[in-house]
Amino acid sequence: MEQKGNLLEIKNLKVSFFTPAGEVKAVDDISYNMGYNEVMGIVGESGSGKSVEAYSVIGLLQNPGKVTGGSIIFEGEDILAYNEEEMRKFRGNKVSMIFQNPMTCLNPVYTIGNQLIEALTCHDKSISKEDARKRSIEMLEKVGINNAEKRMEQYPHEFSGGMRQRAMIAMALICKPKLLIADEPTTALDVTIQAQILEVMKDLQKQENTSIIFITHNLGVVAEMCDKVSVMYAGKIVEQGDVDDIFYKPAHPYTKGLLESMPRLDAVEHERLIPIEGTPIDLLNPPQGCNFGPRCKSCMKICLSKKPPVADLGKGHISACWLHFMKKEEEVK
Amino acid sequence: MFSYIVKRILAAIATVLLVMTITFFLMNAIPGSPFLTEKSTPQQIELANEKYGLNEPYIIQLKNYVVNYFKGDLGVSLKMQEGADVGTIIFGQNKFLISIKLGLLSLLTSIILGIPLGCYAAYHRGSWIDGLLRVITTVGVAVPTFVLAAVLLIVFAVKLGWLPTLSGSLDNPLAYIMPVISLAFYDICYIAKLTRTSMLDAINQDYIRTAKAKGVKNKWIVLKHALRNSLIPVVTFLGPLTAGIITGSFVVETTFSIPGLGKYFVESVLNRDYPIIMATTVLLASLVIFMNLVVDIVYKFIDPRITYTSKEA
Amino acid sequence: MKEVFKDLSPFHVNPDRVWTELNLEAADFEPATTVEKESMVEVRKSVSYWRDAARRFKKNTVSMVALVVFILIVIFAFIGPMAIPYDYEGQIRQAKGLGPNQYSKVEETIKSVEGQFDGFYATSLQRGSFTALNKGDYVINFKGKTYAFTFTEKIKNSIIAVKADEKEPLFIVEETAIRNGEVLMKTPISFTDTAKSEAKELALSKSVFPHVFGTDSVGRDLMARTMYGARVSIIIGMAAALIVLIIGSIYGAISGLCGGAVDFVMMRLVELIYSVPEVLIVLLLQVVLKEPLQAWFESSDSAFVAVLSDLGAGIVSIFITFALLYWVTMSRIVRGQVLQLKEQEYVTAARALGASNVRIIRRHLLPNCVGPLVITTCLQIPSAIFLESFLSFLGLGVSAPMASLGSLCSDALATITLFPYRLLFPGIILTIIVLSLNLVGDGLRDALDPRLKK
Repeated sequence: MEQKGNLLEIKNLKVSFFTPAGEVKAVDDISYNMGYNEVMGIVGESGSGKSVEAYSVIGLLQNPGKVTGGSIIFEGEDILAYNEEEMRKFRGNKVSMIFQNPMTCLNPVYTIGNQLIEALTCHDKSISKEDARKRSIEMLEKVGINNAEKRMEQYPHEFSGGMRQRAMIAMALICKPKLLIADEPTTALDVTIQAQILEVMKDLQKQENTSIIFITHNLGVVAEMCDKVSVMYAGKIVEQGDVDDIFYKPAHPYTKGLLESMPRLDAVEHERLIPIEGTPIDLLNPPQGCNFGPRCKSCMKICLSKKPPVADLGKGHISACWLHFMKKEEEVK
Repeated sequence: MFSYIVKRILAAIATVLLVMTITFFLMNAIPGSPFLTEKSTPQQIELANEKYGLNEPYIIQLKNYVVNYFKGDLGVSLKMQEGADVGTIIFGQNKFLISIKLGLLSLLTSIILGIPLGCYAAYHRGSWIDGLLRVITTVGVAVPTFVLAAVLLIVFAVKLGWLPTLSGSLDNPLAYIMPVISLAFYDICYIAKLTRTSMLDAINQDYIRTAKAKGVKNKWIVLKHALRNSLIPVVTFLGPLTAGIITGSFVVETTFSIPGLGKYFVESVLNRDYPIIMATTVLLASLVIFMNLVVDIVYKFIDPRITYTSKEA
Repeated sequence: MKEVFKDLSPFHVNPDRVWTELNLEAADFEPATTVEKESMVEVRKSVSYWRDAARRFKKNTVSMVALVVFILIVIFAFIGPMAIPYDYEGQIRQAKGLGPNQYSKVEETIKSVEGQFDGFYATSLQRGSFTALNKGDYVINFKGKTYAFTFTEKIKNSIIAVKADEKEPLFIVEETAIRNGEVLMKTPISFTDTAKSEAKELALSKSVFPHVFGTDSVGRDLMARTMYGARVSIIIGMAAALIVLIIGSIYGAISGLCGGAVDFVMMRLVELIYSVPEVLIVLLLQVVLKEPLQAWFESSDSAFVAVLSDLGAGIVSIFITFALLYWVTMSRIVRGQVLQLKEQEYVTAARALGASNVRIIRRHLLPNCVGPLVITTCLQIPSAIFLESFLSFLGLGVSAPMASLGSLCSDALATITLFPYRLLFPGIILTIIVLSLNLVGDGLRDALDPRLKK
């Protein structure tokens, strides 16, 4: 069933962390829309604000983080206006989340079954014990856990990393949320397990018609999973577009740098990986101009003094870079 | 599970035997014989010689001592109550009973008050109550038991006259109040601090974030997810807690003149009545070791991660 | 640059508008130089671990206050005795059982005439009475001259008063000669020319020093005793912590570094010591060690033993107990650190270069686990003070006439209903010491633990 309209609209969202050393603008004025049944990848290096952005969508920002501006509209409702109880009912039910480290994300002293059933009962008080149990077992089977009935009684430490992440996915999807936020769900896993988990997520996404925000720094995963991609750098979305645009027609130097630094199977023999020089900026003292300027190979004088405007490259492909505003030589003359 | 418990019990017994051995050799390290003093009567020398076979090699003496101990024969007092059987002194004159009552009351008080206070402080972190509790608990773990006992005595018994003073017995239930508070105060504060810290630690764990993301109510996040995890370090403190209460009872019983085992032990130490010292040490050490055993088993129930084939003694 | 440009095929933005709106010119689009790029990057100065830790500690108000309080107590305990005219064992017979800031009759008398003289040789306040009196038993220095003199037997409770402008500087005022602040009779002192070699010098005091904490039942000034007791307690705490530090780190370092079977055996020993209730063993050791120690003190005549002998069997056995039982926590921490650091590359590198184990411990491992060592040692001090006061309270630690805070409390217990302040003063000082050290330790942990580093 196709639904029209946007599932999620984020407008000019700003999130800051108020540390003793000063305000850190972790997310600085980002906007995007997400449709139903869509997979959006958010790519960026550590500290680029990609997780912070996702946490504010599910209302899990931790002190001293605060949304300082903008709006998050989910199915027409501004969730930033929700009170605590409304937010709680929203979490897990409409939007759920899975995390990076499955080793620590499950409570070690309760059985998997207990934690699965809890996810159901805290949104649906009326559900009977047997139904909840049945539904949990069903869900475990869906994510590919064999022997689900027996597994329900086991503790997290009796599960392997991949199995735990499967259980996490089951727990996240048990209430049939419209949106799943996956915060680097495969980073902590072995490569073979990674592939299996991605497979499970893909299948379930299709079965359950769930939209996914997929946060990762692994471009390979993005290519495999996502419809749309946002590339984040230092709290800003520097480029956004369809997965094909991003991979085949990257416009922003940072995106290009990311692609060049990624190993490829189809690469020319002994092609060298090109790292992005320099280190991420200090968000406490962001530069006056483009955040990426000091590390950019094509950095120009203006990049160091003014923030770049966003250029619309068509079909929802946008990029924030001064290069797009450069006139051809003949035009200048 | 069963084999785990058996293993722990065996380890505990081994530790008790070790304590007995240490005690025995320490006593034997004293010049002359531990069971005799310059003032010993010939009759006592005879008694002691007969009892412990003092002319036998040490190892045989130790064996006899251990065997006698388990038979319930704890020796004969040399000074405090000349010639009286130590077992009768300890168990027959209500000394042990009074101390056990006092100790258990303190143990319960410190747990019943400490854990909820710690939880409350952690849940309302940053509030003025949390601040106040932090000040109280921080000061509380710095006040020596005897100072607290003395202050209570001065304020409530001498100045205000609300509570019975230096009664010498504990027939009046009110007489328990001051000793129990003195004994338990340090532990209440320590447990509250410990619970608060481990609670806050638990609250910052990833699984709490998961629970929040699931939409679990805040109340349940604290009571279900955080509490049980944060109790693990508190449970491990029960062993030291028992040891601390025993130690504290020496001071508290002396301060309040309570005729319990603690006071008697201190007197026997000051009077160098060796058989009493030995018997009491072994008895109290066994209590602590028993408590450690209980902790190990309770621990197993709270934290499923502990494997059955856990550490040995 | 042109190549980069070529890649941007779907190019829908009209640069003209942006140029005019923002007043841009072609020069803005020239490539930036490396220098320009670098000038934009503000690299925060990297702070060394220790400086960073010091900064964090200084920002911790509670710990800083605690540190200041502890320093004040140390000054009170170590410098205080020099500032007051009483000592811990001097018994002032006339001043038994005084309350805080009370004066004995003699002192009252002297105080009543205080304004009339410029100073006193407050003889009657000195230790002992003037029993064996000979020619030149006492000397005083007045206006640069030394006077030797003696008392006649008759004049016992008396003071020597000094007036700066008087030509004849000294006279004796008998206590009985003072009524309501008026000196009724002055007795001149006869001076002798030569002092005896062991003559006591009397110190001039301007006024009578108050007994701030009162005196005990044999007339010892309680503030002096509390200062002394605090000093004993602090020294014992520090020495015990030092013993624990040395034994614990050597044991832990060896265990961690050797690994394998050695480690296994050493750690089983640690677990054994852990499982034995230590306080009971401590009490036992106190009992057992007393006689052998005293025998040892008497038999040996080396300087070291003499020092130990001065400390007394009680204190030495406290040290022995710490050396035997209390190092296990420290050894575990050091072992953990060593195991962690052993895997670090620079240790492997050092090993590859042929450094010996001793050198690796000294040069690489110890400096790197200094943080936890400092914290544990700092927190060990209050726990040692606790234990010492506990033992002394039970009558086992230090023995009279020495005093520790615990023994002072213990002495006061018998008369607690009459003189509660005798227990309160040392008790409060003890509490403050332990509290401030605990807080300093907490602050150090927060400052030195890199896991909390932000």
